[in-house]
Amino acid sequence: MGDIDKATVTKAYARWAPVYDLVFGRVFEQGRKSSIAAAERIGGRILEVGVGTGISLPDYSRKNRLVGIDISEPMLRKAKERVAQFNLTNVEALSVMDVSHLGFPDNSFDVVVAQYVITAVPDPEAALAEFARVLKPGGEMILVNHISAESGPRRAFELGFAPIARRLGWRPEFEWARLQRWIDSRPDMRVIDRTPMPPLGHFSMIRFGKAARA
Amino acid sequence: MTDTDRPAGSLDPKLLEILVCPITKGPLEYDAARQELISRAAKLAYPIRDGIPIMLPEEARKLD
Repeated sequence: MGDIDKATVTKAYARWAPVYDLVFGRVFEQGRKSSIAAAERIGGRILEVGVGTGISLPDYSRKNRLVGIDISEPMLRKAKERVAQFNLTNVEALSVMDVSHLGFPDNSFDVVVAQYVITAVPDPEAALAEFARVLKPGGEMILVNHISAESGPRRAFELGFAPIARRLGWRPEFEWARLQRWIDSRPDMRVIDRTPMPPLGHFSMIRFGKAARA
Repeated sequence: MTDTDRPAGSLDPKLLEILVCPITKGPLEYDAARQELISRAAKLAYPIRDGIPIMLPEEARKLD
């Protein structure tokens, strides 16, 4: 499987910066709104991984404290402008980070939200391990991803979609089995649910829970 | 100091409570003059650009 290196991801995002708000603002609105709703059911301190230009930040209730990270510094500059524009005093930090090496202490967040992230990073399992580490016991990890179907019309569509996905920096062949293998390796983590998302049900919202401290 | 009288681009003090070195997961010291977050254990100084900490080792200045 051709994993994607960090330079490719960074370049892909630089190429997407001009149209990012249009694509992520409209096409993925439902996925974004659903993941925010899921995150707010837990509430508290929320880490948004791959926060990009911060398009989702104003949609969160101000009573939640937010931290946003991204690999793209230009996108975070835009996010910072948005924080100022909307006077989002509940945004505690925006920082450039590599998802495989998060600069947060263990057990820092009630919720970790990662939309369209783990299928685009060089080492998805390392990223998942870091999300789990910074999550508080009893916390939730909310992933929105393009997960490939094993067969059927969706599979046919996906093969056509693959070149577009690759340009976006998404690994088109990312399968649920890979996430299942990771969760099976983690006695402290469990699947809460897995919900298909528009557009066209090609995306899934996946909720992983971290066991409460014994 | 409140959010409004803090000069643009300087670091929010709350950040220091939230951030650790991404390599050692140890504490960071804030150098206001150089706008850097220093990890003594990793011997790295992470730059802060326009108030955004860049927590990548490849962007950090190496310390002796």
